[in-house]
Amino acid sequence: MLEFPTPETVSFYPSFQELAIDRTIVERDLGYRKTPAPEIVRQLIDEILPEVSLRLTIQCGFCILPPDFVSLSNDGLLCGEIQISTGPIIASQLKKLKTVAVFVSTAGPLLEQWSQQLMADGDMMKGYLVDSIGSEIADRASEWLEKRVAEHVAPRRWAMTNRYSPGYCDWPVTDQQKLFSFLPPRFCGISLTPSSLMIPIKSLSGIIGLGPDVARGAFQCSICDLKDCFRRMDESEFATEQR
Amino acid sequence: MNEILESLQRCVERGKVNIKSPYPPDMKGQEGADELAKKALEMGVAPQDVLSKALIVGMQNVGVRFRNKEIFVPDVLMAAKAMAAAMVHLKPFFKSDELKHKGTIVIGTVLGDLHDIGKKLVSMVIEGSGWEVVDLGTDVSPDKFLKAVDEHPGCVVGLSALLTTTMVNMETTVQHIKSKHPAIKVIIGGAPVTEEFATKIGADHYSPDPQGAVEFLNTRCTPN
Repeated sequence: MLEFPTPETVSFYPSFQELAIDRTIVERDLGYRKTPAPEIVRQLIDEILPEVSLRLTIQCGFCILPPDFVSLSNDGLLCGEIQISTGPIIASQLKKLKTVAVFVSTAGPLLEQWSQQLMADGDMMKGYLVDSIGSEIADRASEWLEKRVAEHVAPRRWAMTNRYSPGYCDWPVTDQQKLFSFLPPRFCGISLTPSSLMIPIKSLSGIIGLGPDVARGAFQCSICDLKDCFRRMDESEFATEQR
Repeated sequence: MNEILESLQRCVERGKVNIKSPYPPDMKGQEGADELAKKALEMGVAPQDVLSKALIVGMQNVGVRFRNKEIFVPDVLMAAKAMAAAMVHLKPFFKSDELKHKGTIVIGTVLGDLHDIGKKLVSMVIEGSGWEVVDLGTDVSPDKFLKAVDEHPGCVVGLSALLTTTMVNMETTVQHIKSKHPAIKVIIGGAPVTEEFATKIGADHYSPDPQGAVEFLNTRCTPN
């Protein structure tokens, strides 16, 4: 077996403020993109957001795999002797990569505990809103982390692809086990269940292709076949999002 | 009499719980589902009519609007809360057998999966359509489903999963249930689930939204 050199591993604790989540963003996540959310929902979000910031342990981090150990294969990537089967949709976006950054982000366990408690106490609405905000935090932390990866590889004049996660675009969720094998144990406080569910649940994992000749795709949802994904956007919504 | 049922239906659709509830703003100060259900029964409206001509119709409209993406989860939650406020007044009639549920559905998220909210939402809409819901929670083993089916003869089973890794446990669960109770109908749902998958694993129905589950239950499942 090839010996896998120690990868570069970096982790961060971004603050809630750095993720810049406001009511408008939460409303959009709830589905209210073309019409405003009911006033009661807006009021509740305003009440919840300050409390959320007190119940967070946001962590995120990445490890850059040694370039000599990463190559493209028919179905995805070969990292040392580990086959990462991203499937052809993602593999086509990773062409010309030199290596990958394996990343994770999490909102931490406290928020989901709060959400579960609220629901157990019969407050489904508040519990659901807290849950939705948790999803957004995990997502935004990954977005924030992308910028840190960019800064990290800038001295090498490397570019980045979009980030891709198991579970999307035909990439099996089970591959999460392989991604986590590249990370230190309980990296950023995240562990995996045998069914590849991340604990805390409000966590994300994935890869970002790196190298001088890679490029970001313009509109990610257009390549994904998860038609009923709750985050799916059409091209005009994506454009608004980028502004 | 029709007027009060129509008002009650509107309260469910708009999520107007009671007179104190400030939501929706244009109904502020008006009686909500709580008061109107009580009043309808006091006026002599049959409990069955309160249920089927007001509450179920209201909740059905909510389910359809949710499916059409005209409203979203918070709106459904508010409607379910209004429905629940009205149902409090109907409970004694269920106890005395004057009112009967259309049937029972045993529902749960399959083994290995801890996702709860989607399943809870489906449960609320199904309950609002007049079915009794037995919610087994999350990470439910095939044995636990089977035990619940034994305890609720003639029930329907609903399985939920949010991960491709856990949706395979739907197959084990369906086989486990059908090996002992071949006539029991099983419906499945969840983000990665498809109709093709439902057919492959021997489930009787797949629905991408709560209302689809309700329609299947109402049309294809014999009440117990």
